[in-house]
Amino acid sequence: MSLLTQNPGQQAHTHSADTMVPDQSRGERPRSFEVADFPMPTGREEEWRFTPVGDLGALLADEATGACLDWEESLPEGVTLGSMSVEEWRGLGLPRPADRPAAIAAARSGGVAVLDIPAEAELTEPVRIRLTGDSEQVVHGHLLVRVGRFARATVILEHAGTSRYAEQLTVTTEDGADLTLVTTQEWADDAQHLAQHDVVVGRDARVRHVAVTLGGEVVRVCTNATYAGTGGTFEGFGVYFSDAGQHLEHRLFVDHEAPHCRSNVEYKGALNGDTARAVWIGDVLIRAEAEGTDTYELNRNLLLSDGARADSVPNLEIETGEIAGAGHASTTGRFDDQHLFYLQSRGIPEDEARRLVVRGFFAAIVSRIGIPEVTERLMTAIEDELAAVSTQAGERA
Amino acid sequence: MSTNIEELNPGLKDLGRYEYGWHDTDSAGASAQRGLSQAVVDDIAERKSEPEWMRALRRKALGLFEKKPMPTWGSDLTGIDFHNIKYFVKSTEQQATSWEDLPEDIKNTYDKLGIPEAEKQRLVAGVAAQYESEVVYHQIREDLEEKGVIFVDTDSGLREHEDLFREYFGTVIPAGDNKFSALNTAVWSGGSFIYVPPGVHVDIPLQAYFRINTENMGQFERTLIIADEGSYVHYVEGCTAPIYKTDSLHSAVVEIVVKKNARVRYTTIQNWSNNVYNLVTKRATCAEGATMEWVDGNIGSKVTMKYPAVFLMGEHAKGETLSIAFAGEGQHQDAGSKMVHAAPNTSSNIVSKSVARGGGRTSYRGLVQVLEGATKSKANVVCDALLVDTISRSDTYPYVDVREDDVEMGHEATVSKVSDDQLFYLQSRGMSEEEAMAMIVRGFVEPIAKELPMEYALELNRLIELQMEGAVG
Repeated sequence: MSLLTQNPGQQAHTHSADTMVPDQSRGERPRSFEVADFPMPTGREEEWRFTPVGDLGALLADEATGACLDWEESLPEGVTLGSMSVEEWRGLGLPRPADRPAAIAAARSGGVAVLDIPAEAELTEPVRIRLTGDSEQVVHGHLLVRVGRFARATVILEHAGTSRYAEQLTVTTEDGADLTLVTTQEWADDAQHLAQHDVVVGRDARVRHVAVTLGGEVVRVCTNATYAGTGGTFEGFGVYFSDAGQHLEHRLFVDHEAPHCRSNVEYKGALNGDTARAVWIGDVLIRAEAEGTDTYELNRNLLLSDGARADSVPNLEIETGEIAGAGHASTTGRFDDQHLFYLQSRGIPEDEARRLVVRGFFAAIVSRIGIPEVTERLMTAIEDELAAVSTQAGERA
Repeated sequence: MSTNIEELNPGLKDLGRYEYGWHDTDSAGASAQRGLSQAVVDDIAERKSEPEWMRALRRKALGLFEKKPMPTWGSDLTGIDFHNIKYFVKSTEQQATSWEDLPEDIKNTYDKLGIPEAEKQRLVAGVAAQYESEVVYHQIREDLEEKGVIFVDTDSGLREHEDLFREYFGTVIPAGDNKFSALNTAVWSGGSFIYVPPGVHVDIPLQAYFRINTENMGQFERTLIIADEGSYVHYVEGCTAPIYKTDSLHSAVVEIVVKKNARVRYTTIQNWSNNVYNLVTKRATCAEGATMEWVDGNIGSKVTMKYPAVFLMGEHAKGETLSIAFAGEGQHQDAGSKMVHAAPNTSSNIVSKSVARGGGRTSYRGLVQVLEGATKSKANVVCDALLVDTISRSDTYPYVDVREDDVEMGHEATVSKVSDDQLFYLQSRGMSEEEAMAMIVRGFVEPIAKELPMEYALELNRLIELQMEGAVG
């Protein structure tokens, strides 16, 4: 690690040429258990420059609060929910926190909630964990999900209510496991949520990470995927709908460090309202040893009103030529007038046509989530958001 | 099936090897001072007998340079020693008016670069040959002068057209824009100054060759192009530099003002030797209905950080960048483009192609920004990278910032390797593997090569062949 990366807060102020070495790859960003290794962000750092750091003071303060969210869980047979100490967790050799709120969440949580899905389990029902908050108190959450070899499972993690929530979630999968993890952020309008999700994909395992973010004032979910062996597959799907006053941020970092692994990331979002913000960062690093990697990333943003702002940054770093394929695409725009015209020419009123077009935009990704109950709920939620859009449009007209 | 292309093609290691590695005896540079101080800046202004406002601007820029931080992103720039660079080298020769007047060693240099042929064939409208910081050879065809086109070196531009010069200098890229634009503003010398009057269409490309010829000499040329309403000009800049032992710095600033309905195309083929830090700021502003096109080729240098920018200030303005980069052993080409949409109905298009080999690194780094009010804007970015071995590196960092709903923004990147299928197919048609490889690379860059003026397209093709040497029969 260079001198610079240990002191990211100072890099912008270095005057002489002697000490200035910018990070040469995404993998060089610091990771540490120690909160002290992550200075208070100023908003100028690469990983914070899109985030409204000024509004997040409470979540960036290194203080234990003892507060927690309400837990409601439904565990299918064989699945256990236990706990371990933070020291024990640190000894497991799992990915370390990568930013200040994650380091605080990991250090100040007072204990790690551990969800174990035993080897070779074939769950017919999803594991459901619903977390709700009812105050503006800061909560530090620390979860570990372990999936044994050849197990197949779906885990649905729901967030609702209001809170200031900093979260460190680690997911490990052993050989040949198949996990779908859905995290939904349906917070109230004043909630803040800063999350780090680390996913370790085992040999020949498959992990599908689905982030659904609809509510909250500031929501930032940083998902990092790494591979413990060859042949792993990571799929990262996301759906977000940002209204006025919302800042919804999704950051992904897929670190291909094992050969013959695949990753596929697809995030789609709509923005509506004067100050609606959406940020999507998709970093992929293919290290020299990761030959035969196949990766693709896609982000699409649909702007439904004036004043909304979408930032979309897909970064790709490739250190070997022996790859199966690599690419990314990003688009931002409003829906095609031709689509509207076509539907209107078929006798569908403009209002209805708009909703159909937006539905179609989301349907492609929503249908890939593959869990009927989530799909239905999500389409209903999108319908509700759209209803709000057309009411506003009606008022404007 | 080959896993190691280097082994199969020993000639590949020469890709990126610098061919124009001669240099003339160094008599102009020996007396020039190393290091940067206000005395050096004042001395440059003094030697050029510059007006007071320019001196003041240089001093202010020096202060800004000292204050500004080094970039916290991009390439490793720790190899630059600002104290070990000559900031000004005056050519020992007076400005010559015809080819015959040039001194023998300078003529030899240009002979190797092929300028006389170009001139004889009347392919170029005028040649401003930059030799050691000042233009020593300069010719404009008479018909251009008759049309009122000004095409001189920047120092003469300041002397002879001071009012026009002052009106635009530093307006597109202010001194404090970044550390290197501040440095350039403080110590600039040489470059081209072009003014095209309203409605004038310059049919043939204006061309200039730049060369660094003094060891550790920074080349800080400053180019200012003003295309008045409804005019058109194509400016071509090519760079080659001899090989030296220690690291050289090239930090140019190019400002272009494209007025209403005018169109400017700026073509660069940069082929500095593999020890040059090439840190260049290029920017154009486009008024209503204006078009700016950057054609940017990066083949040489140790490190290049160059992002030609277009600020689309008027309605229906259009910006386009075609960028091509080759990185061989020890090279980092960090190139891209920046498009800022500041008016409605503007459009931009970026096409980037890069080839990395022998452990080299190519990065596309771009920004497309759609400001509030720039409704119905369209932007598209396509970047493709080709990897020919397993040790090279290719990165894509496209930044997008859209603040309007009524826009269309698209970005797409692909990274691919030369596939065994492609090689096998061409070999089955009777080509050697080396020929096949070179053909695939040429095909890959073709969409950009065809946009170049004829002699540059030939030069580019030759460079690719040189770099694929041993791979080409």
